[in-house]
Amino acid sequence: MTPSSVALNLALSFAGLAALCLAMDRHHRAIFHGAPSRARARALRWTGWCGIAASFAAAVITADWNFGPVQWIGSLTGAALILVGLVSYRPRWIRPAALAALPLAAAAAFLT
Amino acid sequence: MKQGFRQSMAWLHTWAGLVTGWVMFAVFVTGTATYYRTDISLWMRPELRAAAVEPGIAAERGAAYLKVHAPKAVSWFVSVPQEDRPLIGVYWLDSFEAPIQQATLDAETGAPTTARATQGGDFLYRVHYELQMMPEVGRWIVGASAMVLLVALVSGIVTHRRIFADFFTFRRDRSAQRGWLDAHNFTGVLALPFHLMITYTGIVTLAFTLMPWGVASAYKGDAMRFFVETGQTPAWRAAAGRPAEALPLAPLMARAQAEVSEPLEMVIVNNPGDAASTVAAVFEEPKGLAHRHPQVVFEAVSGAVIARLGTLKPVAHVFTSFLGLHEAHFAGPALRVLFFLCGVMGSATIATGLVLWAVARAPKPGTAPDFGLRFVRGLNLGTILGLPIGIAAFFLANRLLPVALEARATWEGGVFFGAWGLAAVVGLLRPHDRTWREMGTAAALLFLAIPLVSALTTDRGFDFIGFDAAMIAIGLALAWGARKVSRYRGPARTRPATAPESLARA
Amino acid sequence: MPDETALRNPGRGLGWRVRAAVAGRVVLATFGGYAIAALSTAFLSLVLPMVRSEAVATATLLSFAVMVGAVVWVFAARTLVRAALGLAIPGILLGGGLWLALALVDTASPA
Repeated sequence: MTPSSVALNLALSFAGLAALCLAMDRHHRAIFHGAPSRARARALRWTGWCGIAASFAAAVITADWNFGPVQWIGSLTGAALILVGLVSYRPRWIRPAALAALPLAAAAAFLT
Repeated sequence: MKQGFRQSMAWLHTWAGLVTGWVMFAVFVTGTATYYRTDISLWMRPELRAAAVEPGIAAERGAAYLKVHAPKAVSWFVSVPQEDRPLIGVYWLDSFEAPIQQATLDAETGAPTTARATQGGDFLYRVHYELQMMPEVGRWIVGASAMVLLVALVSGIVTHRRIFADFFTFRRDRSAQRGWLDAHNFTGVLALPFHLMITYTGIVTLAFTLMPWGVASAYKGDAMRFFVETGQTPAWRAAAGRPAEALPLAPLMARAQAEVSEPLEMVIVNNPGDAASTVAAVFEEPKGLAHRHPQVVFEAVSGAVIARLGTLKPVAHVFTSFLGLHEAHFAGPALRVLFFLCGVMGSATIATGLVLWAVARAPKPGTAPDFGLRFVRGLNLGTILGLPIGIAAFFLANRLLPVALEARATWEGGVFFGAWGLAAVVGLLRPHDRTWREMGTAAALLFLAIPLVSALTTDRGFDFIGFDAAMIAIGLALAWGARKVSRYRGPARTRPATAPESLARA
Repeated sequence: MPDETALRNPGRGLGWRVRAAVAGRVVLATFGGYAIAALSTAFLSLVLPMVRSEAVATATLLSFAVMVGAVVWVFAARTLVRAALGLAIPGILLGGGLWLALALVDTASPA
């Protein structure tokens, strides 16, 4: 449960939730033009769930089975908090933020 | 039928949430603060500096004090200095029925501390789980309210049909009522795992007060035996009735420490001075979720080990993990921040729910609100802003009350309840939008004043940078909220309620 | 739960019937729900096939979920009588089971 492990978790959870969010019509419209195509929405949804799963795996690997699940749920909540803030106030930042979260996750993984 | 079920759950959510909301708001806010209990305690005793004292020596200093001041006690407890609490805490029970008594000693000298008398973070902790009332009464009120909150949570989940569709949505630009509903949903849903976890585990911490019937049937009410059998406490050894000289504590502690890797936390001496006296070395929780403390128990006179506690059976492990999850002692700084934020969101869910109840029932323009609505509005104000005002006043009192004041720690508590009560009276007398703004601003100013007052009245300046930053952040958040409230008005009263909104008020 | 109009106009035009029905359910949920939870805790503590301390811990942990379930049932049932029956029947069964268990299970022996 080092800060870098929490950061890794947060970054992956954020990227995953952002993809899930963008897979929804209303939120996709707020950033891109129009609703996502069927295929695009499905791809985003898959990416999102994979991100969340990766976050879980990262939590369990870096913080073991004892704390991992707790930390994972905590990170999902924290990431969702940031994401909803962005959706409401700065929707355009979501995409760059989600993309930036990936190298951040890699850096955090390297530090852990 | 399905519609009917959802409707009845909506009704249940609304009313269960309302009746339990005020108490649970106080419980959530003070509980959230309790995640930083030790930091609060440190801040509230600015005279203290970190002290490096051998735990065994500290235990002996505590025991020496108790030998003079509580020679007839049935149990002594000595908590040894920790990094975040550089003091020796001594506690004793004169009999099993008597209330626990305590004193705080200087770690270096073993004499009563010269630091200001204060309950520190323990004050808010006691508000959290027993409202600073008599334990039986306070714990039952908190436990029953938490039970109602659990019902409100479950019925709220059933009610909120668009739980996933609205997951990322927070429409801040719509009507007041819509905004409050979104804020309620969003803080409620985002941290839902936390809310369910913290409420259930919180009830479990009071389990044997609220639900003693398992112990009553299987143990004929002998709770002590239950705790012994689960491996949480060593068996009680009856006094022999003749005095005997006990061994010095420090070597015993050193022997115990050789077996356990965690640092020593507390020493418990049962039947001190008696030939059958026992000494238990209690260690800090090992890394893990469960709330359990390894113990090594010695015969005080001979020094023979009579018990070692450490491992638990599976369900007992789950049980103590529930307690551990609730207290989050295992959480490092980063995870602790997340727990804290979840606690803030829980408090916000309750607060927005309470406000939503009142907003959804706002009378048409030109008609006066009835008594019920006025009452709820007043209590909302008095609780949601009154409690922060009380907490800020409590912190300020810690710095402003004279250090030599008689019963100083009690006075601090008095200031807390006095300020809260005053705010509640103002809220009940003037439950208006304007009062929200004024009281919000007052609360914000009080919090912003704390770092300043602290720097002016102690020699520590801005040593407690984290605490100061937190106070400023809370102050700014309150100021921002007060501004927000003063902007929102009107539209909800003229817009006809649409389907989801009538659900919210049903 | 009560009738629709009462739901839509909270606080206004509630007849005494509706009030009484609501009060009845609140009382039933509070005391009936607690009674069911208490009975199930006492019963399960005796009969769960585990070491005694484990059975008590399990039963106590579950009791609060039992109570929530009972409360939700009371407010979801279509009529007050149905709600009461829905608590009374398991209550009688649990009570009978507890009575039997108290007679048959030896609580004196350390488990």
